[in-house]
Amino acid sequence: MAAERAPRGARLVGRYTLLGIVAFVVLFPVYTTVIGALKPAGKLLQNPLIPDSFTLEVLRDAWTEGRLGRYLLNSAIVAIIVTLAQVVTSVLSGYAFSMLDYPGRGVLFVLFLSTMLVPLEATLVVNRRTIGDLGWLNSYQGLAIPFAATAFGTFLVRQAMLSLPGDLRDAARIDGAGHVAFLRHVAVPLVRPTLGALALFSFLSSWNQYLWPNLITTNQEMNTVQSGLRALRESALQSPNVVMAGTIIAAIPIVIALLVFQKALVRGLTAGAVKG
Amino acid sequence: MNRRRLTPVALLAAASIAVAACSSGDSIIEQAGDDEPTTPAPATTVAEGSSGSTAAPASSVAGDEPVATAPATNATTTTTPLAALPDCPVDALDGATAPVEITFWHGLNVDNQTAIEQVTANYNASQDRVIVDPQNQGGYLETIDKFFQSGDTDRPAVVMLPEYTVQQAIDSATMIPVEACTSAAGYDLSTFQPATIAAYSAAGVDWGMPFNVSNPVLYYNKNMFVEAGLDPDKPPQSLEELRAYSQQLVDSGAAAYGIAIDSGADSGGGWFLEQWFANAGELYADNGNGRLAPATEVLYDGVSGVELLTYVQDLVNDGLAFYVGDNAGGADQLLKLADENEPAAMAISTSAGLGTVLNTLAGGLVPGLGPEDVGVGALPGPAGVPTALVGGAALYIADGKTDVEAAAAWDFISYLVSPETQSLFATLTGYVPVRSDALTVEPALSVYEDDPRFRVAYDQLAASPDSPALQGPILGPQREIRAVTARAVAEIFSGGDVQTALSNAAQVANDLLAAYNASN
Amino acid sequence: MASRVSARQRWRQLPAALALLAPSIVILGAFVVYPLVRAVVLGRQRCGVTGQSCRTVGWGQYGDVFVSQEFQNALWVTVRFALITVPLGLVLGVALAVLAHKPLSGIAVFRTIFSSTVATSVAVASLMWLFLLQPDVGVLANVGWLNELIPTLKRPGLLRDPATALWSVALSSVWAGLGFTFILVTAGLQGIPEDLHEAAAIDGATGSRRFWKITLPLLGPTLLFVVIVLTTRAFQAYGEVDLLTDGGPQPGDTTTTLTYLTYGRDSLIAGDDGLRSTSAVLLFLVLLALSMIQLRLIGRRVHYGSD
Repeated sequence: MAAERAPRGARLVGRYTLLGIVAFVVLFPVYTTVIGALKPAGKLLQNPLIPDSFTLEVLRDAWTEGRLGRYLLNSAIVAIIVTLAQVVTSVLSGYAFSMLDYPGRGVLFVLFLSTMLVPLEATLVVNRRTIGDLGWLNSYQGLAIPFAATAFGTFLVRQAMLSLPGDLRDAARIDGAGHVAFLRHVAVPLVRPTLGALALFSFLSSWNQYLWPNLITTNQEMNTVQSGLRALRESALQSPNVVMAGTIIAAIPIVIALLVFQKALVRGLTAGAVKG
Repeated sequence: MNRRRLTPVALLAAASIAVAACSSGDSIIEQAGDDEPTTPAPATTVAEGSSGSTAAPASSVAGDEPVATAPATNATTTTTPLAALPDCPVDALDGATAPVEITFWHGLNVDNQTAIEQVTANYNASQDRVIVDPQNQGGYLETIDKFFQSGDTDRPAVVMLPEYTVQQAIDSATMIPVEACTSAAGYDLSTFQPATIAAYSAAGVDWGMPFNVSNPVLYYNKNMFVEAGLDPDKPPQSLEELRAYSQQLVDSGAAAYGIAIDSGADSGGGWFLEQWFANAGELYADNGNGRLAPATEVLYDGVSGVELLTYVQDLVNDGLAFYVGDNAGGADQLLKLADENEPAAMAISTSAGLGTVLNTLAGGLVPGLGPEDVGVGALPGPAGVPTALVGGAALYIADGKTDVEAAAAWDFISYLVSPETQSLFATLTGYVPVRSDALTVEPALSVYEDDPRFRVAYDQLAASPDSPALQGPILGPQREIRAVTARAVAEIFSGGDVQTALSNAAQVANDLLAAYNASN
Repeated sequence: MASRVSARQRWRQLPAALALLAPSIVILGAFVVYPLVRAVVLGRQRCGVTGQSCRTVGWGQYGDVFVSQEFQNALWVTVRFALITVPLGLVLGVALAVLAHKPLSGIAVFRTIFSSTVATSVAVASLMWLFLLQPDVGVLANVGWLNELIPTLKRPGLLRDPATALWSVALSSVWAGLGFTFILVTAGLQGIPEDLHEAAAIDGATGSRRFWKITLPLLGPTLLFVVIVLTTRAFQAYGEVDLLTDGGPQPGDTTTTLTYLTYGRDSLIAGDDGLRSTSAVLLFLVLLALSMIQLRLIGRRVHYGSD
């Protein structure tokens, strides 16, 4: 933005130098991992900072040994299920909390919000049992369904719908059968930016799940990228370069996705800061 | 604004200080009694006197070892006759019309995973009645947790559980004792090493089939031995020799340290302690190491434990041993052998790592150190003669499956412990064959001949006399007790007081035993 | 708006509302409310190997566990972890955002770089740092000159030295969260009206003066939000401990956080669903207390209620 005058001359050079150095520091762990992933085992420990030899073999090993293709697919499937489910459930409940008026709405909404106070970690012991009882270990539904609805999403959609014009909301107070049609044709299109942000946020949180997939998978076929990386870590001392390569492979899809969806991401992350 | 932003930090700090001040000093395991929520004199643990009178418990137990064994077995109240335990329908497979698919959970990683998958594939190819799907759970601990937390349908038909899980396997009531199968099938165990069967027995019943048996051995750098004027084919056998060798290695400048040691629960901080106690002929826990009746008390805080760990601590203090920490990587002490600047000449690690070590070195990760430079010797111990407890893991058959699945499980297990498979698996990994006739078939026949390093673990196990101490402890919460001793050993190797560390650890271990015995 | 709707109309909307809410209620009920209630009950018990045969010890178990050495240690570790990661993450995030908040050509590239760590999951970030810090196969330990400068890198290694382990884990966590903070603060900066700065500049205020007097106060709400998110994350940290230190180095469970005490594979309570529930519920209460503090700080900025 223009508030600060654009620096010139020496200051400009200094500014770029500083930016460059900082960027290098930020990327340093990525840099060393990439270098390691491209080196054969014998060269790995000599000049770990300098890319003095190059092979794609290690990446190939990581791909096959680490079964990363399968794990990436699993992660993607789970994250897509979670995202779609969260958007749908959030739209429905967000609508019910904003466009409709009925006795007990306030109490229900506070109850909804209070589930945000329950950390995932407090529920895992029991949820592990529930998923076992349902026969959902090693399944996409087991990985996804517990996260199919969130109070956060409900809150977000409600806020967006509350900001719609008043007469629109009045139009919603029609009888039962019309709600779905109204949602589909009027409300959802109007809150689309919010839904995009929510979707990105849901996708990322699902993709990054670490503890849960570790708890409920006993079949390697059903590993997500995160639990797959944990399994790959067991080879960290014997073949560090392979694990480094696996790490890079696991990161690439999200890096690409974020480059593509950069704008939506900013909205998604800042969505949490929305104030009512 | 500034003031406001400081508040959460300040509140956090204040809260934490307030909270930290109210620690009871008790372990999380201890049950403070049903009546009083506060902690008045934890009666049981203190009364049994692990802290004050140091010498008494260990020496008294060490005194009465073998004589008491026979009568006490009969007196044990927990004995369940085999007939009262789940049956093993070994013939059910004959009635199956289609191939039976079963799952097999294991905890082997890296090269050992490749080996177990290879022998499983061999089994699948060898017959057409059973198809086994091997699933790595990530490690032994993950395998234990996932197995016991799963219901009947989610459990695999066959599970590999480490040697410290015997009591849990029994108490979980989730297993068909393997003896039910061996007796139903008339399976011949005569060539098995008796110690391997005994290790997975309790109260007269064999529960698990020993499969991948390992024990700790000494890995050393032969070149450094030569440089220090030591015979590279004569590794130290006693702790005194270990010290003398280390001194010579350091003094000669051949190595920066004599030996690298760790405090991992499944190595220097737990498993090796159990091994050293056995080597000294000492019991690790009461009730005959927990084999006559569930153990109620550990004995490692007695005078022998203190002497032993003081000796090792001195190695560290005198600069002869390098302490690598709690071995989170599982092979940290071995990596110290390959250290470019300050290498150690020796390290103690499981024989099961031998295959991985040789493969890794052959892959060229450590320039200047090839597979042929590594020597393997028996575990140096207090007695000065090699002995070993059975380590590694056994195969268990899960109860609650259909008859054909159970029969398929038994069929698979009998293949895995056949002389041919044992011979192959031992040479792929460094595990010890569970039966002597495995050494008469290839590839073990030639490998044991050509590369005696693979033999060391087998020989020291075969050489171990049959005594209660050398059956090793079985404790319900053995895994947790190892975690506790590992913390104590870490404290000791970092310069802490040996007696204090062991006494505190013993108290928590006794809490663990009491809690376990009350819950199971 | 409620005033325009009669009581009868409101009752008539109830069935539709419940139908719309049903999916969320089922999911949240089954996987948030029920497990919490069940965990509270389980937390009074001790369980056997398979978690099935549980016996009730009593509510006192919560107190006993809370004051036990292990829990107190984990709580203290967690608090220290938060005290490192939150301020450090905040300061670095703001610094990066301010640095990149300049009308330079090519600045978008730098912004992308600075926000890039948001693409790393905890597993990816932790493994990258593992290979940076590991004393045997790690990168830093194998750079000769660096080693001479900082001998701890190799002996015993930053992740293995009780004095540096928590800091190292925290650093990896800060790094992983940097992109997130950067994005938020950048968005906050872009929301500050330009004329404020221009006016101040005309009045002769220097850059740093303008930062302290204008930028920072106006960033207040954003920073508060960042602090809340970072604090919550710190109290739930698990993956970085699991992958980097396994709760060690020992002695002292140097990096055993509350979540690691509850779910870590080396934990003393790993075999007892009762004690794990006790610990999990206590973690919830600790986080609840934190949330209460945070809600107070936000004041009434977030408004609940319907009308």
